[in-house]
Amino acid sequence: MRAEPLPRLDAPLVRLTIDNLAVAAPEGTSVLHAAEAAGIFIPSLCAHKELSPFGSCRLCAVEIEGMPGHSLACSTLAADGMRVTTDSPALRANRREVLELILSQHPSSCLICEQRSACERSQETIHKAGVATGCHSCTNDGDCELQLMVERIGIRDIAFPITYRALEPELDDPFYDRDYNLCILCGRCVRMCQEVRGTAVLAFKYRGRKTLIGPAFGESHTEAGCEYCGACVTVCPTGALSERVSKWDGSPDGRQTSTCPFCSLGCQLDVAYVHGRLSSARGAPDPDVGDGQLCVRGAFCLPETTHHYSRARKPMLRQGPYFRVADWEEALTAVSARLREVAPEDFLMLLSGDLPNEALYSAQRLVRDGLGSPGVDSTLSASLPGGPRRWMRLFALPVSLQALSQADAVVIAGLDARFSFSVVGVQVRRALRRGATIVTVDARDSNLAVMADHRLQPRPGTEARATSALLRAIMSHATPDGAPDGAPDGVPDRRALRRLGLGARPFADAVNAVEAGGSLAVVIGPRVFDGDGADRLVADLERLAERPGVTVVPLTLGTNIRGALELGALANVLPGPRPAGADVSADASRDFGRFSLASLDEGRRPQVLYLVGETPFTTRPDADFVIAQDLYLPPFEVDAFLPAASFAEADGTLTNLEGRVQAVHAVESSSTDAAASTPRPDWQVFSELAARLGRPDLQYQDAAAVRAAIHAELPRFPAEPDRRPRRLAFVGGPVGRPGSRPAPSGDTEAGDEHAPAGSGRFLLVPERAGFRHRGIDLAGVVEGLGELRLEEGLRLCPDDMERLCVCDGEPVTVRVSAPRRLTVVLPARSDPGCPRGAAFVTLFDAWGARPVDGVSEALSRLPARPVRVRVSAGDRTRPGAAPSAAGDRTQKAGGAAGAGTGRDTPAQTVSARPAHRGHASERDTTPGGR
Amino acid sequence: MMGSGGMVVLDDTTCMVDFARFFLTFTAEESCGKCVPCRVGTAHMVDILDAICKGEADMTDLEKLERLAHTVKENSLCGLGQTAPNPVLSSLRYFRDEFEEHIRERRCRAAVCTELVEFHIIPGNCVGCLRCVAVCPTGAISGPRAEPQSLDASKCIKCRSCVEACRYNAISGDAIVADAADPTAAGAGTTAATGGSDAR
Repeated sequence: MRAEPLPRLDAPLVRLTIDNLAVAAPEGTSVLHAAEAAGIFIPSLCAHKELSPFGSCRLCAVEIEGMPGHSLACSTLAADGMRVTTDSPALRANRREVLELILSQHPSSCLICEQRSACERSQETIHKAGVATGCHSCTNDGDCELQLMVERIGIRDIAFPITYRALEPELDDPFYDRDYNLCILCGRCVRMCQEVRGTAVLAFKYRGRKTLIGPAFGESHTEAGCEYCGACVTVCPTGALSERVSKWDGSPDGRQTSTCPFCSLGCQLDVAYVHGRLSSARGAPDPDVGDGQLCVRGAFCLPETTHHYSRARKPMLRQGPYFRVADWEEALTAVSARLREVAPEDFLMLLSGDLPNEALYSAQRLVRDGLGSPGVDSTLSASLPGGPRRWMRLFALPVSLQALSQADAVVIAGLDARFSFSVVGVQVRRALRRGATIVTVDARDSNLAVMADHRLQPRPGTEARATSALLRAIMSHATPDGAPDGAPDGVPDRRALRRLGLGARPFADAVNAVEAGGSLAVVIGPRVFDGDGADRLVADLERLAERPGVTVVPLTLGTNIRGALELGALANVLPGPRPAGADVSADASRDFGRFSLASLDEGRRPQVLYLVGETPFTTRPDADFVIAQDLYLPPFEVDAFLPAASFAEADGTLTNLEGRVQAVHAVESSSTDAAASTPRPDWQVFSELAARLGRPDLQYQDAAAVRAAIHAELPRFPAEPDRRPRRLAFVGGPVGRPGSRPAPSGDTEAGDEHAPAGSGRFLLVPERAGFRHRGIDLAGVVEGLGELRLEEGLRLCPDDMERLCVCDGEPVTVRVSAPRRLTVVLPARSDPGCPRGAAFVTLFDAWGARPVDGVSEALSRLPARPVRVRVSAGDRTRPGAAPSAAGDRTQKAGGAAGAGTGRDTPAQTVSARPAHRGHASERDTTPGGR
Repeated sequence: MMGSGGMVVLDDTTCMVDFARFFLTFTAEESCGKCVPCRVGTAHMVDILDAICKGEADMTDLEKLERLAHTVKENSLCGLGQTAPNPVLSSLRYFRDEFEEHIRERRCRAAVCTELVEFHIIPGNCVGCLRCVAVCPTGAISGPRAEPQSLDASKCIKCRSCVEACRYNAISGDAIVADAADPTAAGAGTTAATGGSDAR
């Protein structure tokens, strides 16, 4: 248990004297922080307000009356009546000597150079250098705490020989570079990684003068389990750690607090900008949501997403065979002309769940009121498992990230928090350090399961049912041993547990451990809601939430799902959320009377399709006129493209899963000139279209005006950004029948027919790609994400791969028989975290900025729920045929058949052509074959 | 104070500079590397002592060494760093003349600092037993059996194997005199620095 770096605010005050100044500080404050709060500067390098005291830099030594020698201000607690002197000749001499020692191991020529100020004038350009030999070739020049200390302490010469270590800079891992020649071994990054993140990837290696920072045993950061959260880069006082994308931007001109646009947690960002351009982001201190922590998306993916060279920044129109650049006036006129002509029932607008509230509201007003069309939907209706109604129920539960870290027991189902949602992982580990009991329910290995007290591993795809069973047992205070078979409240008996693949004893232990605790938090990962029994799980969560001290954290992908539900951005959901029409109890995504994404799936054809931040297709959808409004061009032909402003270019608000309405601030000003062909905020485009359609009442001056309109219609929705959490309230009465709708999937119930692994039968478990924003696959634009290769191929247990006789990267053929017959070929990936008999695959909802190849085509056709499949080694789509020719032919056939939405033909064969074709084509591993 | 504080008895064949360096090398190796004075300070102290032993230091280095020793002692985090400079401080206190001799005269009176010493054979003592020829790794010693041997200084790597092997005190180390105009220093070195088995 570590010492808390910051004292509690309600602690009693102690009074002390620092440099003859009376200072009061809460009990438990260090002398350093007490002096800092009183405006007294004490030099220090290793101390950081978020970290425990370390005492390695020795610069903060002070004289305290009654204490022998010098005491360290960072590790001495302020006490009543203490008399502290921070400056004396002896202290100054000591500090100078210690700082000289630090500088003797740091490229410091510029720090002590007499020509420094002249040099700054003459060498103003950025010096890109592979190795920093002085401040002018360091990426951190001007933003360096060591420079500050040298300035404050006043070093003119270094008495010791410079012992440059000549280490090779480490440039191989994604996202950030490391030059440990600049490292002063203050240990901030190590403490950050261990104490705050709880990951402990970084450590001190070797000892004495050879001491180095890095993962133990010479592993790479990726191998050692680095989450790439960037926290170490943020706390590094020197230029030893630097973000690759922004390292040569120079010191920032300013910083702006904003909200991360990449997931529904809504972590607060501290965005740096240089020359009116977004440079980098770090976590903003915020005790409510992320506590200043970020995941890989927030820490490293912002600059490349908005600045990538393939970003489309000008309106474009199709004219005959040409797709040409147009100005806004022309593009808006062309689009509004089509909108005016189209019959309301022949129009469909698809809205991304990542759009800000203003865009969602003005879009649905434009369609519903301006065009009189019900044709508004979102891929959320497909990618929110169970449909929007389930999520309205979930968001009506007490959702709190803050309570998660304070809980006495945490149940986590189906979540690996290494990359997506790593902030949740941080909160779970914080709870663990406070002594909470952690129970994980996951078929797979995960970074949270390794530290769990109780680890339940149900069969793949049954996490929802297993969690449900656990919650019921907790609620009924009954263990399987005590409960009679078929207990009325659904407490699982031994047989039921066996069907889930759980042992009675571990299950009982987990139940007992959770029951013993007081407050309980339940975290449900996105994959769980795709499995069986999710509706029942939601009902159980609702029952559980009636107990005091229960928090539920339902996680899914999509930034502004809460906002999309509340502002009616889905078919059948009106702002409120209020159900549209009488068919509220039916699945909202299956509304046969109107257009929705589901009806598009069923082959109905809209005349005009308006995609706003949505690219759910790999080929052009079947429509007369397709409009796309996004950051990047979609991978298929469209008739009009309207460039949308990114999170860095437009103000707006996002609603996080707790219901906080948080502000996104523009740091890059797009041109204010109305005629300029620069990206415009989505709400502004809709506003201008409304003006051209003769609806000035749907026209807005700015984002605040849209919020005012939302507030007028929905008084619960704040008119200004309001960071207080709000539980979702229904308009429209009680919810439907929980668990009454059978799962429309394949035979996932067939737990007892579980075939032995290696015979070729597998359970295909789809996971949703975590790295999307609007219509973009982030891995396509952010280089580091691409390097991590998180979303590729069919992931199998190494044992299974051995039985199938396939190596990493070799093709395997997946045969799906239900819900429709389908054969796809994917490269196999070895994944030690996979349980035997399960094949995990990543599905995409967003195809923008991603090269569409055979593998993508194949992925886009896989079912979104766990199904039984047969897997065999090699490309078996055309046995006997020449492999390359077969690949081409089947791919073409698939492409042509899928020209509509690609989901209407009963049997399809799609082949990807993986890099290695391997030796396995003659082998058959289907049942009976071996 | 040296090392653990136990009593260590030394004779005139031990060079106090080298002895201080030995203890400091040990503590510099054992330093965990956490705090700056111990990690960087002891490393610099070892470097300065190395320079003194090689005769490459000047008197400012001695001042620097002393100041650094106090800095490390006063500013280190734990007991290791706080006591690491003790061997240097103690030997500077009682054997300062040996340090100054190393720096000023480039002379090691115990014939331990090999950079400052040249070995030769005392013909009167040598009986020609060829023990030294057998142990010399570079073949620097040669001569007929039962007659005084001769040592080729250009081949000698100053490994001291011959000194250890000789039973007749026939091999001695002379200071390499930096200033050839000072014959007294060389003469004193010859008499004082007779390496040999009489200590044992």
